[in-house]
Amino acid sequence: MASLELLLIFTLISGVIAYLVGKVHPKTGSILTIIVSGIVFASLAYFGLNEQLLTKVSYLPYISFIQTPLAIFFGVLVSFVFFMVSFFNPYFIDKYTYKAVYSLLYLLSLAGIIGIFFTDNFMTLFFFFELVVWSSLFLIPLGRDEEVSVWYFGFSVFGSFALLSAILLMQSVTGTFDITTGLQAVSGFNRLSVFILLLIAAFAKLGAFPLHYWLPKVLTDSPDPVTSIFSGGLEKLGAFIAVLGLVKLVPTGFFIDVMDMYLTHYILAILGSLTIIGGTVMAIRQDDAKKLLAYSSMSNGGYIIVALSLGSSAGISGGLYHIIAHAIASTAAFLAIGAVARQTNTTKMSELGGMLHKMPITYMVYLIAIISMAGIPPMGGFISKWLIFQGVINKGLILVAAATFFGSIGSFLYVFRPLAALFLGQELPQFKETIKEAPIVMLIPMVILSLLNIVTGVYPTNILAYINTLLVDLNIVQLDITRWTIVGTNGTLNPALIAVMFALGVFIAFIIFISLKKSRKVELMDTYTAANFIYTEELLHYSVDFYAPIERLYEPYIHFMKKFYQALANKVREVGALVKYYIFTSKPEVATFFIMLVIAILLWGDLV
Amino acid sequence: MMINILIGFGVALFGFVLQTSLGGINRKIIGRLQKRYGPKWYQEFLDIFKLLSKRAISHGWLFDFGVIMALGGIIATATFMPVTNSIVAFPNYDNFFIFVYLIAVGMLGMAMSASGSGNPYASIGVMRALTTMLAYEVPFMIVILTIIKLTGTSSITGIAEFQQLAGNNWFMIALPLGFIVSFMALMGMLGKKPFETYIAPAEIASGPMVEYGGKQLGMLFIMHEITVFIEVSLFVHLFLGGAENILIFLLKYAAVYTLVNLISNVYGRFKIDQVVKFFYKWPLLLAIVQAVIAVYLGWVI
Repeated sequence: MASLELLLIFTLISGVIAYLVGKVHPKTGSILTIIVSGIVFASLAYFGLNEQLLTKVSYLPYISFIQTPLAIFFGVLVSFVFFMVSFFNPYFIDKYTYKAVYSLLYLLSLAGIIGIFFTDNFMTLFFFFELVVWSSLFLIPLGRDEEVSVWYFGFSVFGSFALLSAILLMQSVTGTFDITTGLQAVSGFNRLSVFILLLIAAFAKLGAFPLHYWLPKVLTDSPDPVTSIFSGGLEKLGAFIAVLGLVKLVPTGFFIDVMDMYLTHYILAILGSLTIIGGTVMAIRQDDAKKLLAYSSMSNGGYIIVALSLGSSAGISGGLYHIIAHAIASTAAFLAIGAVARQTNTTKMSELGGMLHKMPITYMVYLIAIISMAGIPPMGGFISKWLIFQGVINKGLILVAAATFFGSIGSFLYVFRPLAALFLGQELPQFKETIKEAPIVMLIPMVILSLLNIVTGVYPTNILAYINTLLVDLNIVQLDITRWTIVGTNGTLNPALIAVMFALGVFIAFIIFISLKKSRKVELMDTYTAANFIYTEELLHYSVDFYAPIERLYEPYIHFMKKFYQALANKVREVGALVKYYIFTSKPEVATFFIMLVIAILLWGDLV
Repeated sequence: MMINILIGFGVALFGFVLQTSLGGINRKIIGRLQKRYGPKWYQEFLDIFKLLSKRAISHGWLFDFGVIMALGGIIATATFMPVTNSIVAFPNYDNFFIFVYLIAVGMLGMAMSASGSGNPYASIGVMRALTTMLAYEVPFMIVILTIIKLTGTSSITGIAEFQQLAGNNWFMIALPLGFIVSFMALMGMLGKKPFETYIAPAEIASGPMVEYGGKQLGMLFIMHEITVFIEVSLFVHLFLGGAENILIFLLKYAAVYTLVNLISNVYGRFKIDQVVKFFYKWPLLLAIVQAVIAVYLGWVI
């Protein structure tokens, strides 16, 4: 379908159909989500990348579309994540209380995504933004804990209000809701206010410090496919808003000469750095694999903010590339953990071990995903981190650089943790008999994502070329790329060469290995134990408090944000109790009186 | 292209031979220091070839696959390393970040294989190695940021030539604080005392290496020698002005490696949390001070 409007209507109607079908037979309803999201992705990718999407609107009121490279970039990426994750839906649908609603909400979120990215009007954007917030809000409590959706709702409302204020402020100054012209026309102090408000919305959606509190909770406790959607897709809405605020809005304020950037952007880079550090140190100490990856998502959101705030071509293209690389890698990692969770019903690393022997393909998927997440070649994460480092070093931002390096090395620590504790180590007896490899339909998206991880790391030229056309649209100098190389400000990178050398190196090592004497296979329990006799697998499996020595160093200092938000929540609860006590008493006439009073105050200027 | 790849593998082989011989010589030096004779200088070659010829045990396919990935990753990293200004396999592509990140593939392979053996000592060793890495890498990278910002290039030969053009004004002298920090980081990288925590033979039975024997251990020894070659020559190129010809390279390389060994042999071993505390106190502060002085104020000797 080349028409965006038809695509939107199609998604909405199939959501309703999936609901009705799901009422009768839940599994068929969830299979519909695969088909619909596949069609949406295929249409967006095929017509979008050829710039043949039709933006004409003939049925829907007040809605208008525009086809920009930025919209296509985000639209294709997020719909791809939705498509990949939807393969998991049929296998998880039995675990939910409301099976039919799940498929409906899944497709409603997808429809909202199309609306957000492709609209040219800020009010429409806000409408679809809310559609996504509300539909995802009800996806979360289908998982383990219902209270987390309250946290999600709180932060989302805060972000939404900030976005709405930014939109109304911009409209009152410039008289237009149009995104591009509006953001360019707003000036002076108002521009700074719009900037701050937009960035609050972006931070709330991306889960960046100090508005990060909901992210790990939601990503841990929502159902496994929804977690992947959040990490790979919905979080990227925040990145989209951040691009609008940081790149499309003309910067303002004090200019720091020695760093060659605006003070506002520098402060954002510092906040991004704090997000990186916070996400990293918290990820290191988690026991739940999903929570660990959730904090890693937060840390990667920090990278995106740092990169976009740099404003240089290396920085912004690095940030955009990181959005792709992280979406692919983290979706793959979450899906791999989800596959394990489906087979074992737990994601706690202290309860798992030796899954490698029964789920080798899932293991390889996770391995490739973490190599990309840690920014190691030859995977996609390396390209984006390299570009971000180019940008940071070129500006000479010492503290930000320290944080990005810390996050990059710290990611080795935390991504290795599930690998060692969950997949490797002793094979625990309770999993020896019962566990099987994930079903083949679940392996399809995981393998596709793994291949993409490798492709984005070996041959990034096509994506970078597309990012270059996007940079033209955003009025930024293009990145210098040739067919095989990327030319940064202080060096040239040839990803394919690195991959070829790595392959040759492994080949040589393999030749050495097989030309020597064959090894004798022994059991895992047959190991060196310093003359102790140990016969149980649990005692030989090191997975609890893996990084205890380093955790002890920062353990006392990490709870300040948690305390702050819980104190805030208590205060809100108290105010609520007060209002309830005085206004919503047992006498309905009192409540009615106050409601009338509020309405009268709100309408004061118009009535009198 | 073919010839470049061959030069690259030549460099890897050269690094292995150089470091293994120098390691043997250093064992002799340390022996003399402790009033022993010490082994023959080619003892390390004998050890490695003996191990390669023995029949070993294996804990499953990942155990072997990790070893292959480790050696392959390190060989691939070494191919990018310049030896002198002219002996470099891929001119312009000897980017600093390749060495930091491609070396990590090898490390990951080894860590994976060690954890795959199912021995808790190996997991503890890997945990300590990663923690040590988190400690030394951040101060080191800040110094590197200063160097890249000053020279405007992240190519290793580019940085070396920059120092040679400036009249042998090596970064060792131009950035004294940075040099001290990096030297400590180098000791951490090489796993020398007092940062030997992740090997700690008497405490956790050589950590990651505990389950290996035979050809797997031999391959990991080869990997270790090439890793040391990469790290020390990186240091030579970044701080000691690189090398115009192979003789100067050998001289500088031997000097740095021997100095590290001499210093390490008068120290005991830190606990792992002491390593982290150590690096995040003075070295980090010195690195930031150096970066501020050099980048923002422009005071470079």
